[in-house]
Amino acid sequence: MTTVVHVVNQFFAGLGGEDKASMPAGMIEGSAGAARGLALHLGEDAKIACTIYYGDNYFHERKEDAMKTILDAVRSAQPDVLVAGPAFNSGRYGLSCVELCNAVADALGISCVTAMHEENPGVGAYRDFANVRLYCLPTAETTAGMTDALKRLAAFAIRLAHNETVGPARREGYIPRGIRRLEKVNRPGVERAIDMLLKKIKNQPFESELPMEVWDDMLPAPPLTQVRDRRIALVTTSGVVPWGNPDRFRTYRNSHWQKYNIAELKELEPGKWETVHGGYNVVYMNQNPHYGVPLDALRALEAEGAIGPGKLYPAYYVIPGNQGSPPVMRRVGQEIAADLKRDGVEGVLFVAT
Amino acid sequence: MSKELEKAGLPVALVSAMFPVAMQVRANRIVKGVSIPHPCGDPSLPKELDARLRREIVRTALQALESEVKGPTVFSPPSL
Repeated sequence: MTTVVHVVNQFFAGLGGEDKASMPAGMIEGSAGAARGLALHLGEDAKIACTIYYGDNYFHERKEDAMKTILDAVRSAQPDVLVAGPAFNSGRYGLSCVELCNAVADALGISCVTAMHEENPGVGAYRDFANVRLYCLPTAETTAGMTDALKRLAAFAIRLAHNETVGPARREGYIPRGIRRLEKVNRPGVERAIDMLLKKIKNQPFESELPMEVWDDMLPAPPLTQVRDRRIALVTTSGVVPWGNPDRFRTYRNSHWQKYNIAELKELEPGKWETVHGGYNVVYMNQNPHYGVPLDALRALEAEGAIGPGKLYPAYYVIPGNQGSPPVMRRVGQEIAADLKRDGVEGVLFVAT
Repeated sequence: MSKELEKAGLPVALVSAMFPVAMQVRANRIVKGVSIPHPCGDPSLPKELDARLRREIVRTALQALESEVKGPTVFSPPSL
């Protein structure tokens, strides 16, 4: 017998609408509300041990309390798999489904599946987590897609409960998480690549084995007039940080940035700085940090008058860029932009590695 | 990251040795760097020439900030 726990918000637990959105998290034995629908599709070899619920606002306003109640309830039910949602296009609900699934998967090692519309903000969090034990299925925008969503959630949950191997997103129909897996194939890469190339030349459809992020065009910011009179700052993803790495950057997948004071410095002395980056050979940068933070050149241009006196921002910004995921780097970019604007910076020199 | 800075109205001169990638991600003002582990300079050069090359790269970046561009544009420092 497969044991399933279903997590839903107060509305889908049948406990009330927006007026009950502050309702604390709780647990009902067996299935309640939408979980009854899920039970129908799970079949006779599976049972819903309990239905966990929470108010949409409660979850986000009292996250620690909500998570504790949810984790305790799941721990005592000892399910083979957890199902959350479907959340359709409800933002608070979708985000909470993804966050609680991620927490359950990490803390208890239980596979989780949720479902929502692809434009639900929860999908962004799902991609950021890229948790191997968490899957999100696409649904319709509204509850009109309820029966279909429950049917697919049930089938997927049973497979997870049985520890079946789940293939790539494009074959299995869940929303891609950005996890790349090694796969054994019969033909060498060079043959597959030439096939693709020939198809491309003939304008035939082909499928890349490494789908790339699609980037939007961005209207260029207007140029600076008289750059020597403008306040400029240096930003880098090279990973040059003070010796000892005081802010504990990792060599990959960082999620925070720092700025380090250079106001009094004419140059960066080797041995006082180090480079934290797992994506390239850092030997040169360690020997001479100016390859990533060209302070000696900036000071020389200041002396020449190409940069006005006091116009170089007194700190440089850094995050080691290795394996930075696009959503995290976007957020970091926004945070640094806000910081620069607040301090009146007008242009940026960006050294990327 | 650099695109978020541009979105906030800050022109960015992106020094990168991987300028084809910078083009691909649609950065607008791209300055050719020397190589991935040392974009701003060349450790195989004598110290003085290395420092001169670095000044050239930074000077090119300042010129890029002053230049009107319509889309991804590569600026090459004279020695590269």
